[in-house]
Amino acid sequence: MQKWKQWSKKYKTFYVLNIVFLILLVATMIVPLLNTLTVSLSSNIASMQSGIKIIPTEISFEGYVTIWQKMNLWLPFYNNVLVTVIGTFFHVLLSALAGYVLIQKGLPGKRLMMSLILLTMMIPGEAIMIPLYIVNKDLGLLNTLASLVIHGLVSGFSVLLLRNFFMNISYELAESARMDGANDFKILFNIYLPLAKPGLATVTLFEFVSRWNQFTPALLYINDSTKYTLQIALRSMILSNDATSSSDFITPNVRMAGIMIAILPLIVIYPFAQKYFVKGIMLGSTKE
Amino acid sequence: MNIFKKHMTLYLMIAPVAIYFLLFAYYPLARGLMISFQEFRIIGDNTYIGLQNYITVLSDPVFWRVLVNTLLIGGGILLIGFSFPILVAISLNEVLKVSFKKFTQMVIYLPHLFSWVIIGGIWIYLLSPDGGLVNEIIKVFGGEPIHFFTQEKYAKPLMVFTAIWKDVGFLCILYLAAIVGISPTLYEAAKIDGATRWQEIRHILIPQLYPTMKVVFLLNLLGVLKIFDQIFIMRNPTIAREVDVLMVYTYEKGILEFDMGVATAASFFVIFATLILTLIARKLLRFDEEA
Amino acid sequence: MRKDTRFKYLIIAILVGLIMILAACNDEGTDNEGEATEGDKSLRILSNVVGGKTPEENELFVEEIERLTDIKVELVKPPADYDQKLLTAMSSGEKFDLVLLTKNLMDILVDQGVLTEISDQIAESDILSDTTVIPEKEWDLIEYEDGNYYGVFNKFEGGTMPIVRQDWMEKLNLQQPETLEDFYNVFKAFKEQDPDGNGKDDTYGLSTAGLYDIQGFLSAEGVKYKYVYNEEGERTIPIASEAAVPVLEWFAKLYEEGLLDPNFATNETSQMRELFLTDRVGMVTYWDAWVGLFNNIRLEDDPNTEFKAKGIPGAVGPEGDIILRRGDPSLWAIPVNAESPGVAKEFLEFWHSEKGNVLSTLGIEGHDYTLTDGKYELTEIGKEHSMDHGVVVPNNTNWENPIGSLPGVEEAQEIILEHATLETSTEDWPEAEKIVQNYAFKAMMGEIPAKEAVNKMHEELMDAGLIDY
Repeated sequence: MQKWKQWSKKYKTFYVLNIVFLILLVATMIVPLLNTLTVSLSSNIASMQSGIKIIPTEISFEGYVTIWQKMNLWLPFYNNVLVTVIGTFFHVLLSALAGYVLIQKGLPGKRLMMSLILLTMMIPGEAIMIPLYIVNKDLGLLNTLASLVIHGLVSGFSVLLLRNFFMNISYELAESARMDGANDFKILFNIYLPLAKPGLATVTLFEFVSRWNQFTPALLYINDSTKYTLQIALRSMILSNDATSSSDFITPNVRMAGIMIAILPLIVIYPFAQKYFVKGIMLGSTKE
Repeated sequence: MNIFKKHMTLYLMIAPVAIYFLLFAYYPLARGLMISFQEFRIIGDNTYIGLQNYITVLSDPVFWRVLVNTLLIGGGILLIGFSFPILVAISLNEVLKVSFKKFTQMVIYLPHLFSWVIIGGIWIYLLSPDGGLVNEIIKVFGGEPIHFFTQEKYAKPLMVFTAIWKDVGFLCILYLAAIVGISPTLYEAAKIDGATRWQEIRHILIPQLYPTMKVVFLLNLLGVLKIFDQIFIMRNPTIAREVDVLMVYTYEKGILEFDMGVATAASFFVIFATLILTLIARKLLRFDEEA
Repeated sequence: MRKDTRFKYLIIAILVGLIMILAACNDEGTDNEGEATEGDKSLRILSNVVGGKTPEENELFVEEIERLTDIKVELVKPPADYDQKLLTAMSSGEKFDLVLLTKNLMDILVDQGVLTEISDQIAESDILSDTTVIPEKEWDLIEYEDGNYYGVFNKFEGGTMPIVRQDWMEKLNLQQPETLEDFYNVFKAFKEQDPDGNGKDDTYGLSTAGLYDIQGFLSAEGVKYKYVYNEEGERTIPIASEAAVPVLEWFAKLYEEGLLDPNFATNETSQMRELFLTDRVGMVTYWDAWVGLFNNIRLEDDPNTEFKAKGIPGAVGPEGDIILRRGDPSLWAIPVNAESPGVAKEFLEFWHSEKGNVLSTLGIEGHDYTLTDGKYELTEIGKEHSMDHGVVVPNNTNWENPIGSLPGVEEAQEIILEHATLETSTEDWPEAEKIVQNYAFKAMMGEIPAKEAVNKMHEELMDAGLIDY
């Protein structure tokens, strides 16, 4: 607060406006979440009633009970964790390898590799939906969790991001290590990765989230219900089937409970990831 | 060959990535290209029909309409979605109270955790003329409820807005990582020169963000013509004409009408258009220059 | 530098070569999936609605089929995006013996030559050719131009109709509406006279989920929402004619005066159902079977509820006719690459036998229902599943549901049978629907005059070659 006194009037105004702006932004993001939470905690009939629901008034776990009774979610949950953790690990590893290669000076074919990797990001899923299925089929991956780990094993997006983080690390550090006889693997793992922790954290978090939410590949490649992932198991609960005379009736509290179950792990993990992430930034910033 | 040997380890490092892309991107892409030249049938032999699918697409007025929509919505998301996170990142960086900073950072990332099915549902509900929060507020101030999701004039801006809303937190974190990485010595030098805070931001902070900006812009650009989930979830028949984009078109052709030949041809236009945009952007941004 | 370029070309050449080889090698590659051993009857089925309500129940469902028929079944039941799964899997050479389809999808697949023509098998089968099992009139709905059949019904399809809060009608002393004017008055009363007695002005007269389904009101002018053919075999969509103007104007009035749920254009059916169940709206347009479900849901919540849903016929047309919509048939079909079409036929016969009827409605013995001394009783799970495991009402007219139907359903079904006709949906309907919806909504929401809307609609449909006159 000492600083406050030193500030110019203009800056004070700016500071206050700035805080207000951020609070408004935060509000737009937190209201929907509270709404989802509140509806998930209301009773069947109450959840269908209109009105603004941001703060739970009476708490009922009817929705959660229904969804756990209907679906045995432990197995899908376990599958989801497995696929997400293993998939994210390899994804980050491979992307880091590629990102590292792409910052090397004077490497023949580098620009071409770069272009080819960029090109993969332009391909819309639908253009290759059927051929990709055939590849999975021919490799015997259909109906295995491995197919879900392999789907998106590496992405141009992550490669590009990590390459960018690596580029900010001084090249001389690597050169001097090389002089000392370190090979590329050593340089990457001992010098680049520790220094690029914010980058790694960003990519890991990003990949983790998108893998956790992955739906279409799981829908297409998995037939056996013991290999269902959480998203597949929950989808029939979250989405209502339109335009059929089917009699499934799923109340909003059940739907929202499904949503909460699906995102809760992410919300729980996120503060930890962020803590690490902030630490990573600190480490990164003391590099010079 | 010497030069190849020298870099052996590096090629080894990128080999798994190369194999992956070859098998799971380029090979399917090549086969996709073949489908685009075929009269597609679900079972049985597909006959090659040359460019017929492409001609079908190009002569379809709906295709041109969705192309325009894609460019407008995509362009909006690209431009605003590129600059808004920078603003938020800088604004967040100004905050002194660490707990507030951390809290904000965490909360604005939240929408990124949700899939579009959920986000779409939330916004349709918030903007509903019957009990939606926004309209309830409008009513409190004596206004008439606005039917946001059924009026053409709001359709495109809404799509742009929600897309940005969802990703601002994620992109903001990329910028924050870069901001925190700026060497303090740069600021100290400026302090000595008696620079104001605004000058510091203008002349030190922003230039240091250029490399990140380039990457973010490129990343956004590569995905912008592929937008699908969002539109698919949030469209309704009253605004379909305003918001249907290229990938919705291919979805309708492919999965609703089972005409994969035409759908694939249309998606190759998406690839092609992205390619051109990227080439232009790479030239303009001088992306390949070593930092 | 030059070396670099040469290297680049080398890589490109290798890449292109590799891709070509890979692509060429596999173009024909379709290998066999099912490894059915001699004498073992096995069947691979792709289905969306038929089966257990949860993955676990699905396994029980498969076991129950095996117990009843000795057929080993693999039931692939994607929880969503069924068409996408079907398209991708079948295009990649995966083989199914039976797939569940809508009529619309069947039209497309027949056109692509993907389905086995099964007219002879049907004629040879004692069960399937029995007209008391599947009536002649039903078969006519799925006969193709060449007189052939490519599918067998999954179930008897109901239809959609206006469903009204009968308890509100009685409370406000209203008569069953017949003309658009009557309907308007009913809605006005629902809106203004606080039928739920909560003292708040929070009720609407009518809610729909988009244009799904306004046929019961278009009926007032004898106009259909989808394709019709004239005697010369030319097709048109009657809503795109001036005859539809009064109905669209009537909707615009409802919307303007707040009698119609303002969210009707963006509603999913689930939202519409929720409004109805929570005393927010007095009438919705939905399936006949749902009359019973609505009543049942409220009864389960409160046994003393006054809530009473009732299906009513739509508005009476100029000739005294009422037009309602039958649902699209859902059908079983055998793909041309099926490995055991014979077993598939056997399954279809089972499906339309009494045992099949029980399985497809009530569900699994010991799980959904118990059978003691010939008396069926639903378990708690069975009650939750509302006697629907892919079929609400079987085609089989000889079979009667031993539990009986839910309150209000029979009455509603009679109305559907009397007034509803099946849509002759053609391949082009999805294209045409977009144009129809665009202008119909504009007119209903009062953005453009109804007359202008139908004229533009008609013009655009003609230009796109989607209608002939």
